[in-house]
Amino acid sequence: MKLLIIEDDESAAKLLGNGLVEAGFSVDLAHDGETGLRQARDGDHDLWVIDVMLPGRDGLSVLKALRDQGRRTPALILSALGEVDERVQGLRSGGDDYVVKPYAFVELLARIEALLRRVRSFGSGPETMLELADLRMDLLSRSVTRSGQEIDLQPREFHLLEYLMRHAGQVVTRTMLLENVWEYFFDPQTNVVDVHISRLRQKIDKSFATPLLHTVRGSGYILRVEP
Amino acid sequence: MLLIEIFELLLLGVIGGGVFFWWRQSRAHRQNEALLNSKLVAVTQSSRQTGDNIAHDLRTPLTRLRADVEGALRHDDVEMHRATLERVLDEIQNMQNIINALLTLGQAEVGVMNVRKKTVNLSGLLEELIELYIPSAEDRSLTLQGNIAPDLTIEADRQLLARIFANLFDNELKYVPAGGTILLTALARGKRVEIRVEDDGPGIPVEMRDKIFERFARLDPSRTLSGGAGLGLSLVKAFAQLLQGEICVAESSLGGAAFILTLPVSAAKVSKLSPKSAVARL
Ligand SMILES: Nc1ncnc2c1ncn2[C@@H]1O[C@H](COP(=O)(O)OP(=O)(O)O)[C@@H](O)[C@H]1O
Ligand SMILES: [Mg+2]
Repeated sequence: MKLLIIEDDESAAKLLGNGLVEAGFSVDLAHDGETGLRQARDGDHDLWVIDVMLPGRDGLSVLKALRDQGRRTPALILSALGEVDERVQGLRSGGDDYVVKPYAFVELLARIEALLRRVRSFGSGPETMLELADLRMDLLSRSVTRSGQEIDLQPREFHLLEYLMRHAGQVVTRTMLLENVWEYFFDPQTNVVDVHISRLRQKIDKSFATPLLHTVRGSGYILRVEP
Repeated sequence: MLLIEIFELLLLGVIGGGVFFWWRQSRAHRQNEALLNSKLVAVTQSSRQTGDNIAHDLRTPLTRLRADVEGALRHDDVEMHRATLERVLDEIQNMQNIINALLTLGQAEVGVMNVRKKTVNLSGLLEELIELYIPSAEDRSLTLQGNIAPDLTIEADRQLLARIFANLFDNELKYVPAGGTILLTALARGKRVEIRVEDDGPGIPVEMRDKIFERFARLDPSRTLSGGAGLGLSLVKAFAQLLQGEICVAESSLGGAAFILTLPVSAAKVSKLSPKSAVARL
């Protein structure tokens, strides 16, 4: 998977690039809007990471130009706190995402993987059944079973598990869960998500031999068969 | 040690971030230069008043960081370095939270913050927030209850509303001792709604009831890594004002603190605009 980072702070771009290379991606860097636009247009990247504030041409205008040319590559926007306005939030409806600087690397990595995953599963049609090992979620009857045994979930727990199952095998952060399951775009001081996760874990894992819902220290959670 | 150098850089980045932010902000709004200048003056003034506190609040974690990093550099123990870096990262997060809260406050107070008013099902939102916090409250042996009039709808920004109550609940969970009760009541009062968040905890002494809404004000002035910086209630007040509402604290009939928020049902009908909210509309 090949990524393009358009970020004017060269050392920040380099540190980010190093991290992404360590995570197994190959990475191109651009440090201003025009160069970034050219590299994005001429390249075959799987995802663009674009800083909003760039010298010359700003990141959102770069993205708009690419979209106007029919380029559908997913984009992750890096923005400062005060720049998160309608334009940036509106991106989410276009299938893109954003993180606020200074971000945690694990947050950015998790979102990149979620975006790449969304693209891969695009076009496979609406699912009616989600499955992981012996855990099954029927989206039509809104029921969940593990090893055939019915699991009783509250509506929010169902939604939480659905999100985790749609991102099975992939780290999801607390912030991603707050945004996508509860639709809150801020992080409370209380560890509210952790407690909901541990309640869900009680229901889906406790009486079964293989735990599926794992905590990834310093990052978030992952639903998968391997420990 | 390259790692330590990287972290020093990171640290500088966090501190520089605040200054950098306003610089960027000014680039973003060049077309509104005159307006922006007046806003920036207001921000500078409001931050000058609390400048001493900001310096203090950043110097405390910086002192800890410096001592920690210097201590680690005197040794060659990889495991010790790792533990130090983890603490450094926690401190950076802590400082980042303070800076973000101050920036948000600055933006909210001078009206450069985005407020998206829509019709919000307030009763539903409050029920949802209680549902979000109940497991955390139970974990601390606290009872969290709602007494919410059905079908309350208001014109407001859902995210700002949620942040107000999240901050109040965060406090309840921190300051009400185990075994306590937290009660949220919401009801209509003519053209306004009143929402109370109250508890049977230690309460707020009379002489502190205005003060705790000020930046960095805490009843327990010692600042620990886990304890807050004293900015939560300042944010609550600023957000309430952005929604043309008011917040105060009184004594609860339960024996502890009662935070009382009143909000207009229809914000658009409020005609009296302060200069600050006039700016917010531009
Ligand atoms: N429900 C409460 N009961 C008792 N004291 C409270 C309550 N809520 C807030 N306080 C006091 O008000 C102070 C300021 O609160 P806040 O601005 O949220 O800052 P922080 O929580 O970071 O200390 C707290 O430090 C605490 O002393
Ligand atoms: Mg607080």
